[in-house]
Amino acid sequence: MSINVEKLSAILQNFVSGTSDVEGAALVTPDGLPLANTLPVGMDEERVSAMSAAMLSLGERIGSELARGSIDRIYVEGDSGYGVLTSCAEDAVLLVLASKAVKQGILMLEIKRVISELKLILI
Amino acid sequence: MRLVVTGPVSAGKSTFIRSISEIEVVDTDRRATDETTLLKHKTTVAFDFGRLQFSPNMALHLYGTPGQSRFDFMWDILIRQAHAYILLVAAHRPQEFRYARRVLSFMRQRSPAPVLIGLTHTDQPDPWDAENILIALGYLNDNHPPVITVNPTQPESVAQSVMALIQHYCETQAGVTQPSLR
Repeated sequence: MSINVEKLSAILQNFVSGTSDVEGAALVTPDGLPLANTLPVGMDEERVSAMSAAMLSLGERIGSELARGSIDRIYVEGDSGYGVLTSCAEDAVLLVLASKAVKQGILMLEIKRVISELKLILI
Repeated sequence: MRLVVTGPVSAGKSTFIRSISEIEVVDTDRRATDETTLLKHKTTVAFDFGRLQFSPNMALHLYGTPGQSRFDFMWDILIRQAHAYILLVAAHRPQEFRYARRVLSFMRQRSPAPVLIGLTHTDQPDPWDAENILIALGYLNDNHPPVITVNPTQPESVAQSVMALIQHYCETQAGVTQPSLR
């Protein structure tokens, strides 16, 4: 059975529009290719995908090399917002971009929820 | 001293570093899902890092770049820190020469560091010779970087090319610092 890409996109779209202060989301393969995304205008999906994969892979490496265990998420905090990377099933990485105003607790819960939704389609 | 190993997909960059590093190589390999799968199963997505104590007061840090151009932000980060770099080209895959040329011009635009061209996979059927590869890379006259044949799976061969790269680096350094003497 093939992956339902439209459904993946729909889930991401719902997530971005339904969660306040979330600006974009992208689902990519661990080797940095785009699967589905809803990104702010002006962001190149190829580049975003490659960066997400590189970042998560390095983060996981830091986790194992520096004895931090397996990595739940990678968190990039800038002065105008957040970027959160979470591994999603074996074959995907989820990147979520949120503005500085976002409530972090809500963001984490929402990410957890959307991942469980995405997993159903990916597996 | 920081050396960067670059080149097209599956030229032998990660193997090169694994052959010579004295620490366990920090790799960021992920299962490939693009056209890379035709060549190999895993591909580097951030960088490979290896270290070699060259002499008591000189440690070499080797950084391997990803091959695919979607990771060009990593190329950019790595090349700006490099003292010298080597471009690996698989001599038996002429379809990649144009891409290798693109990699090379990307690097040259961002860094004046000396470069060495390493030909790999020369033991495969129908490898091109150095002269023709140089032409394919855009070097039409004698003014080209040194070319060396290297087998990334053999530590001695890799060591030789690293020596050549360091030598090339020292020569260019001497050229840069003493122009006023002439």
